[in-house]
Amino acid sequence: MEYEASKLFFAGIDIGSTMSKVVVVDAGGKMLGYVVGQTGAEHRRRANKVMEDVLLKAGVPLDQVAYIISTGYGRVNVPFADRQVTELTCHAKGVASLFPDVRTAIDIGGQDAKVLKIKGGRLTDFLTNDKCAAGTGRFLEVAAETLGLGLNEMGQISLQSDTPVKINSLCTIFAQQEIISRLSEGQPLTDILAGVYIAVTTRVVKLARQLKVEPPVVFTGGVAKNAGMVKAMQTVLGTPVLVPEEPLITGALGAAILARDEAFKLVKDGRYTMEKKQLSEAYIEFTEKGR
Amino acid sequence: MSGYFLGIDIGAASSKAVVIDSRRMIAGAVVIPSGTNYATTAAAVRDEALRQAGIQSPAISASAATGIGGRNAGADSYHGVIICDARGVNLTFPNARTIIDIGGQGSQVITMDSEGRVINFNVSEICATGSARLLQVVARILQIGIDEIGPLSLKSTKPSSFSTSCTVFLETEVITRISQGDRPEDILDGIHRSIADKISGMSRGVALEKDFAVIGGGALDSGLVQAIEEKLAVTALVPENPRLMAALGAAAVAHGHHAGK
Repeated sequence: MEYEASKLFFAGIDIGSTMSKVVVVDAGGKMLGYVVGQTGAEHRRRANKVMEDVLLKAGVPLDQVAYIISTGYGRVNVPFADRQVTELTCHAKGVASLFPDVRTAIDIGGQDAKVLKIKGGRLTDFLTNDKCAAGTGRFLEVAAETLGLGLNEMGQISLQSDTPVKINSLCTIFAQQEIISRLSEGQPLTDILAGVYIAVTTRVVKLARQLKVEPPVVFTGGVAKNAGMVKAMQTVLGTPVLVPEEPLITGALGAAILARDEAFKLVKDGRYTMEKKQLSEAYIEFTEKGR
Repeated sequence: MSGYFLGIDIGAASSKAVVIDSRRMIAGAVVIPSGTNYATTAAAVRDEALRQAGIQSPAISASAATGIGGRNAGADSYHGVIICDARGVNLTFPNARTIIDIGGQGSQVITMDSEGRVINFNVSEICATGSARLLQVVARILQIGIDEIGPLSLKSTKPSSFSTSCTVFLETEVITRISQGDRPEDILDGIHRSIADKISGMSRGVALEKDFAVIGGGALDSGLVQAIEEKLAVTALVPENPRLMAALGAAAVAHGHHAGK
């Protein structure tokens, strides 16, 4: 081969509704670095910024990045990506690379939730909710706002309770009122918060049960960073869940590994030069318009 | 039969009381915010309705209550809001057969016979979508009063389109549309269509017959009423005070019970 595999790097970039994530891997699929930033309104600018940051962090120049795959809700807004792949595919790939035996993956993002069934590292079935804020990170944000607490703080406080208050409302709007009523009734904040996590989890688990939850279960997405949420998930599922060290980046990691696979395939087929040219055009766009 | 009859409706957002006389003519009618203590609210709204009617408590021959807090209203009997809506609308518009009630916390589509007896109904109460709650949220973002929504939305020429029907996600999407330069009237028009879509979805499985009455707080919004008329291809009747229908219906039920019906 005219390309030396050991000098090639691959990136996956996941532009989510709330957070943008990017991962760089080497030819062995080993993660060299990752960066997470707020998505904000300007996707392109954000995509460029996180890419620039991760390359600095990983010590890799962009022209040595052989292939880039973008994913997530804002994946069309990544001008330097070679290809776009759906978040479900990337997510399954990323989770299976960390936990090869995974059978069920539950991902709760800022505005959606996904349940993936995986077998032998391949996606076999999935269900998503992006229609209703209940059962997504947004529910937690609304609760945090209502109570004037930070998201992490809320999780920590909830851990002190073993007697969660039942939140009956499914709808986020009605639950917000219910939280206020429970507080005014004098219910302890700890129990109310524990109840909030149980409420979100119950909603997502209902989705998951439609596909049958089989262990091992991996829990990812920004919401999986919350200790209160992880506890609630194990309680509601009645089974332990595995949480990656950085649960936000599984989609980006999967995209990076897919980028490696894709590039190797092109090299093997002798079609890589064309892709290289596309990448350098993308690089010009990145450096000239990027900032 | 003589005497007066009292109907009380303690709703999620507002509480209403109506006093009718023995000929079922309205003698007093009041709307106040519900607050948090339903028993206190019920007493306050009742006293004000009696004062308007110019009567004292002993003149009330029978009373009935409805609504989410109606069981704490201290009335002689409690009845579901669907039944009361139907009775109130039947009294107001004898030819109405379909009711669309858009409340602050949920909506319902009801069909009834010529006597105001309920034939079928669908209720949306687990989700804020399709309720007037969304209008409050949007009015707050646009910094306009609830009363201004209807007239302003009727000026729209290019309704904004929304990709979600969830009230929480719509809040974000409205802000996005504002940043993209959509005009407030177009945003409101788009929101009205979104609510009308949801209500149309609720009407599935219920055989809708005319005349149509639109009631509840949402009926005060002329733009929303128009969007529903367009979506369902009907002409809607709107009572002078659309929020009073369930309380009026409760009063009519009390009257009916007293007459031994």
